Amino acid sequence: MTQLDVEEHAATALPEAGWGPLAGLPGHPMMWVLIASELAVFGALIVAFGIAGALEPDLFAAGRARLDPLLGGINTLVLVTSGFLAAMAVDAADAGRRRTARLHVAGAIILGGLFVIVKLIEYQAKLAAGIGIETDRFFTLYFLVTGFHLLHVLLGMVILAAVAVTDADLRTGTAFWHMVDLVWVVLYPLVYLAG
Amino acid sequence: MRSSPVRIWLVLVVLTLATIAVGLPATAAPWLAGLVVLGLALAKGRLIVLDFLELQRAPRLWRGLVMAWLWGVTGLAVLAGLIPLLLAA
Repeated sequence: MTQLDVEEHAATALPEAGWGPLAGLPGHPMMWVLIASELAVFGALIVAFGIAGALEPDLFAAGRARLDPLLGGINTLVLVTSGFLAAMAVDAADAGRRRTARLHVAGAIILGGLFVIVKLIEYQAKLAAGIGIETDRFFTLYFLVTGFHLLHVLLGMVILAAVAVTDADLRTGTAFWHMVDLVWVVLYPLVYLAG
Repeated sequence: MRSSPVRIWLVLVVLTLATIAVGLPATAAPWLAGLVVLGLALAKGRLIVLDFLELQRAPRLWRGLVMAWLWGVTGLAVLAGLIPLLLAA
């Protein structure tokens, strides 16, 4: 067994050996620790948004009426398509087609960039209309929740680029990206549409 | 082997278009539209969790935890929309 074989074996065996309840998860177990903590934080934000909306339904209805739900819907299509490309990248990597996998990851990152651009256009429109983070409780939570998610989109793009460039386990990077997708799928109706 | 990503993506696109179609127009029963779009979010989230995140074949503990998160946050969002209606009734 060459040194390279030993290193590859160590890298692939890691998730299965000595990780207790974290064994058997797709990607590196430490990524799942991060995903679990991120879901806990987003869960707390979603609970806060829901409770605030229940306490002040008229304020939240008025706030939602000033959002652009079509832009949010377009961004949902962008993000699920990006997640699809990430899943295709994993399938390509499993089949040993590394170049195809990298191209799919590049596509996923580009669509992540499109999500960011659409979100910035949305923020710009709000600021131009005189709406900011201190306008009222709805917009404070709107900017906090969607801004926090936007930071995770940017982080996810960096993680995807890192695993593609270094030939690390793609599943580890795409797992984070799918978590970002999952959170947005819940945030979109809650923030823009519900109620 | 997981389901074809193409099939999952097409279903996600259709569910998202349905979400936009139900959520965008003004309606006389916004609580009902809210209920439908959150139900659609649950369906989309389930596909992402089981197929894209590949938890379908993962240990039951983790699949259960992430699905519980999804049911929990969408359920709370539904409850948050219904509470003002119940209080006003």
